[in-house]
Amino acid sequence: MDWTKQIGRYILVMLLQVLLFDQLQLLGVCHPYIYILCLMMMPVTLPHNVDMIIGALVGVVMDIFCNSLGVHTAACILIMFIRPYIISSMVNDIDRLNEAISMHVLGVENMIKYVLILVFVHHAVVFLLAAWSWSHIGFVLIETVVSGIITSFIIIGYNILRYR
Amino acid sequence: MQNLLKILLRYSNFLVFIVLEVAAFMLLVLNNAYPRSSLLSTANDVVAWQNEQVREVTGYFQLRGMNEQLAAENTALRNQIATLEGQTCIYYEPAKVVQMTTDQLHNYLTINRGSKDGIERGQGIRNKDGVVGIVRTVGLNYSVVLPIINTHTNLSCRFAKNDYIGTLQWDGKDSRFAQLTDVAAHMVVNPGDTIITSGLSPVFPEGIPVGTVENSTLYEGDSYHTIRIRLFTNFKRLKYVEVVQNADQKELEELENGLD
Repeated sequence: MDWTKQIGRYILVMLLQVLLFDQLQLLGVCHPYIYILCLMMMPVTLPHNVDMIIGALVGVVMDIFCNSLGVHTAACILIMFIRPYIISSMVNDIDRLNEAISMHVLGVENMIKYVLILVFVHHAVVFLLAAWSWSHIGFVLIETVVSGIITSFIIIGYNILRYR
Repeated sequence: MQNLLKILLRYSNFLVFIVLEVAAFMLLVLNNAYPRSSLLSTANDVVAWQNEQVREVTGYFQLRGMNEQLAAENTALRNQIATLEGQTCIYYEPAKVVQMTTDQLHNYLTINRGSKDGIERGQGIRNKDGVVGIVRTVGLNYSVVLPIINTHTNLSCRFAKNDYIGTLQWDGKDSRFAQLTDVAAHMVVNPGDTIITSGLSPVFPEGIPVGTVENSTLYEGDSYHTIRIRLFTNFKRLKYVEVVQNADQKELEELENGLD
């Protein structure tokens, strides 16, 4: 997988995120963060440390747009940390994987699992840190579930369209 | 020592993870505690520019609501003016034009206020620019208005400069212009003179703008001027209006009728 393609996809996804998805205001509980699509589909060829640093950078950029310095950064570092463990539990030989993560690589069922796990971990961390207190836990849960479902739906849909 | 290094190398990924997360949390905590850095927030020029562009576009979707809000605010302000000027019997009710014709001899317009909102036949209608018309038929929720651009309408007006009275009529041709009649030949009429409501009927209070004199002709042997008035109200773009409710209107009309 060509890295210029990865960067191009990142820019497109980021534009979609700030121009379209950040503008959605559905009852205040729908904040789909689809920009993690590019982190999730990144190939696992780079060292794990570098992956996490890339996650941190992508998170910082998103935080700048959200006025929430640290929130997306922490969440992105976390999903980049757990990502190789999830993938290696799904494929036999992770070291020989040299293409972008997709339905071809993981299979449909595993891909859906993979997307759901990472999206919900990311969204839960983001909304919890943004709330910065346990007193809004009910609202945070609703926000996570609603936004997580929408984000997962969009990412899986993108995969189906792209690799059908 | 070697063992320690081995352990560190073995868990280097986890260590990097911890270091990065600690950094992220420091950013988070510092950002919550101290004023935000202008570079790492939406005060950043690029981000602010992007947000501005988005606002430019999404702003158009909110225009309708904003217009309604402004119209309501205008009405509230006009009510305050009426109170301050001592016209305590006058109350303005905001309304929206839902249907209107401008190209016929007998034009009508419909507003979204009816008897439910206290509208009665004979009440005046104005907008921010000037006079619009008079309520003709009242339904429960809607009313039909006879605008001044209907050949049936007569409106008592006067010159702002010298209180000379005339009657405004419409010739059925152009919705931008009306005619002022009954102005005697000895009156000096100049283009640009302002015409306002006379206040002689209870329909409109005195001094609501009507239009300006476009041109006036005095034909040989005529004892009245033929005056063309450019109306302030743009009927082609009429959207928000106000109903003039005069608490004394009924009493005044009964008195006048009693004279017959």
